[in-house]
Formats: sequence, C-alpha cells, structure tokens
Amino acid sequence: MSDYNHPPPLPSASLPFSPGQPAARPPADDPADQQPIAGFVETVESLLRQPRRLMHQLRQPGRGHAISALLFMAILCALVYGLVVGTFSGGTQLWAAPVKTVVGLFFAAAICLPSLYIFACLGGSQVRLIEVAGLLAGLLALLTVLLVGFAPVAWVFSQSTKSEVAMGALHLGFFLVATCFGLRFLLSGFTRLNTRPAGLSVWTLIFVLVLLQMTTALRPLVGTADTLLPGSKEKKFFLTHWSECLRQPAPEGRQALQR
Amino acid sequence: MSCLTSLTGRCFSSRWVSWPRHCSTRAGKFGAGGAGLHRLRDELNLNVNSVANTLDLRQISILLRGQVDDLSSWLARAEPARTALQLTVIVIGSGLYGAAMGAWRAPLQAGFVAIKFPLVILLTTFGTGMINGMFAPLLGLNLSFRQSARAVLMSFAIASAILGAFSPILAFLVWNSPPLTDAPANATTTHALIKLISVVAIAFAGVAANLRLYLLLRQLAGTTSAARRVLCAWLAMNLFFGSQLVWILRPFIGAPWLPVQFLRPNAFEGNFYETVLRDVTQLLSP
Repeated sequence: MSDYNHPPPLPSASLPFSPGQPAARPPADDPADQQPIAGFVETVESLLRQPRRLMHQLRQPGRGHAISALLFMAILCALVYGLVVGTFSGGTQLWAAPVKTVVGLFFAAAICLPSLYIFACLGGSQVRLIEVAGLLAGLLALLTVLLVGFAPVAWVFSQSTKSEVAMGALHLGFFLVATCFGLRFLLSGFTRLNTRPAGLSVWTLIFVLVLLQMTTALRPLVGTADTLLPGSKEKKFFLTHWSECLRQPAPEGRQALQR
Repeated sequence: MSCLTSLTGRCFSSRWVSWPRHCSTRAGKFGAGGAGLHRLRDELNLNVNSVANTLDLRQISILLRGQVDDLSSWLARAEPARTALQLTVIVIGSGLYGAAMGAWRAPLQAGFVAIKFPLVILLTTFGTGMINGMFAPLLGLNLSFRQSARAVLMSFAIASAILGAFSPILAFLVWNSPPLTDAPANATTTHALIKLISVVAIAFAGVAANLRLYLLLRQLAGTTSAARRVLCAWLAMNLFFGSQLVWILRPFIGAPWLPVQFLRPNAFEGNFYETVLRDVTQLLSP
C-alpha cells in the first residue's frame, strides 16, 4: 500500500532544454540544423550548441556571409582576449597585445589553410577550398570565443602576479584547451562533409606548432620590451625562448615574496 | 498513468508536494480526459507554483537531499526568488562558517572572514560562469549559460548550507582553544589545528555538494560519461580560479604573528600556484 505514495516515473523529454541529448549529436536530417543563422549571438550559440547547423550553413550558396560572421567574431574575441593579455603590462601593450593576438591567429590560419586543403584532397575528398576555409574560420571563432570565456580568470591572475613566466604559462594553458575544442570542431566538420583528410593529425601538429611559434615571433605578448617586435638578430625557436624565460631571475615582486 | 505524467510534467516528482494516496487508482478512475484529472493537475501545479515563487525554506532540504527531479525542473525555469534564496544560503552559511573560522584570531577578523568567504564563492561562480557555460554544451550537456550558472550556484548553496551547519561546532572548538595570548608555540599549534579542521570541513562540504551536482548532471545528460566530463571541467575551473581568489583575499584564519587585516598589503603579489611551486621546490632542493 505504501507504494501508492511514490509518484510515477517521469519522461525526461518534458524538460524544455532536452538534456538527454548531447548538444553536438542531433539527428543528421534534423530540420533545426537547416535553420538560417542571423546575428552575432545566434552564431555564438550555434558554434557552441549546434555546430551541425553552422556546418550546414557553410555548405550553402550564401556561405560567404557565414564565414565573414565567423571571422568577424574571431577578430572581436581575439581583440578582447588580447586586451586582457595586455593588462598585465599596461601601456603600449594595451593596444599591441590585442593586435598581435589577432595577427598571430589569422597569419597562422592563413599559412596553414593551403596544407589543410591539400591534405583533404589527398584523402580523396571532393571538398572545396571555401568549405575548408569556412571550417578553419569556425575553428578560429570557437577558439577565440572560449578564450573570451577564460578572460575573467586570466584578468584576475594578470592583476595578481608579476611573473611573466606564470602569466605566459596560464595563457598558454587556456590557449591549448581552446585549441583542442577548435580542432574538434574542425574534425567534426570534415566528418560532416563525409571526408577525413589524410594526415589530419600531422596537420594538427603543424598548426599547433605554428601557433606556438607565433607567440615567440610576435613577442612580447606578455611583458614589455624596447621594441614592438623582435629584431632580425633575435629570431629563435619557441622552445629556446621559453627555456630562456624560465632561466631568467625572478622579478622584484616574486623576490619580495620569496623573502 | 502515462497520460497523467505527461500532463502534469515534472511537478509530480516534487516530493514536498503531498502525493495523493492511491493516486494510481484515482488516475485510472478519472481516465485521460476526466475533469477530475485536470482538477488534480491544477491543484498540484498550484502547490508547486506557490512554493516556487516564495522564499520557502523547504527548498533547502530539497537541495540537500539532491532530489534530481526537482532540481532538474528548477534548472529549466528561472525563478528569481529561488535564486535569491540560494544566494542567501551562500551568504549566511559560508558567512557564519567564515566568522567561526576567523573568531580565534580576533572578533574583527571574524567579521572580515564573514564577508570574504561568501565573496570567494560568489566571485568564483561569476568569474567562471562564462567558461563553464561554454564547456557544458561542448562536452555533451545542452545547458544554457544561465542553467549552468544555476547548477553551479545550487552546488555552492549545498556546500554553504553544510558549512553553515558546521559553523556552531567550529565556533565551539575555537571557544575551547587556547587563546592567542598564550605562549607562541601554543598559538602556532592552535592555528594549525583550526586550519586543518577548517580544511576537512570545507572538503567534506565540497565533496557532498559535488556528489549532488553529479547526480543532477547525470540525470540531465542521460549518460555517465558526459556528466563526468562536465563535472570535471567545472570542478577544474572552479578550483583553479577559487584557489587564486582565496590567495588574493587572504588572511582567513590569520597567522598569530601577523596583524588583523582585511587584505594583506601584498595581496596582489604572486599567485597561489607560484607559492605552491616555490614551496615544493624548497622541499625538494637539497
């Protein structure tokens, strides 16, 4: 008799946000994926929650608008995160770091785009260059949107430490996490296009290495220097630069802390 | 019965709504289109809404029990009153615990920590809200930013309620501890003891709150792996950011040999992880 006091089981579908379904895996012919995307907020939402919808847009005739929107979003978000990077040193870095962040990301993407297209073709894909460019724009947009998500945390750290190494490591950690999600978007995009470029993991490695080298080629991003960019005699590989940074003596604040 | 559940939705699952005895019989008797069924539904929905729209303290016990059906429906619908209640639980619960923690050092320190402890929790929630909201859909749980923030807020409210419940015990312990004016060696030992007990209580509250959060996420995600991924990502961000906020807002207990202050003069010098790394290096160096 006591069983009557228990309510019956409930259908999980009654919740409005249908949590039973992972965000990235709606049915392939879901009409929701074919809805046009309008506006900045909707683009961000699609990038995070409905990547298939975005990928569908990238295959439509008016894909230029979608790619432009993604690139615009990537520029805006990279500027915001760059500003947070610049607040560590202040002064010139307040405008230099955002500009360098945008330039670094877009330059790396531009020089890696041809190789990604070639890898896709080598894999026997019928994919067009503009579709690959669209996926790469999506990668950049998702990467930078996630960086903006990390921005409040990064800002608090940048205001509470004087160690360039610590801040550099923090930004690098955030950047790597965001890049992982961006690369996952790229991979699912190729899966959506029924193709998987030959050697995509090799391309991923190359892309990450290029991005990491950008942090050294465009230095200083964190901290200050006499010149905005390193001179021709100061060129070095990023691992060399990082090991040199680690060997530098501790800054005044850190020494004071150690005392 | 399936018709009954589909009509009344998740409201039926609310265990604080008195479930009518012999409900199965009643539902069967009324049938799908019976007027009695509608009356029953309206009656239950009315009960749910009347509690949801007020600062009903019974909601705290639902939180503590981790009744996932209720918590799921809370996530689905924004209720300012409920959010206000959870914020109040955080401010009062963690504030009381903070006051008890700081009371050993000085009454002023107790006041400071009563402000700072809730501040750490709220700043962590707001600071990581954006990235946590992004992680959820990317890791397989389709929650909006607000729903993610609500879920995290619920878990912090659970932890704060537990800490608030522990605060009289900690206060009693502090009251029985040797005073600060004692010999320096005694003061140092007491300081270490209070620190240890505080950490244990906070860890217990954190584990209990995250277990509740995990059950909720598992219900929402439908899969254990997605729930685990999201929980781990949220935990990592909250711990990472929260630790730094605790570092900036130190002191909490207050070292016996340092003055009572709201913030240390070097609050913004260095960070938590640099300090840990430096300590580890010192320990390992010959």
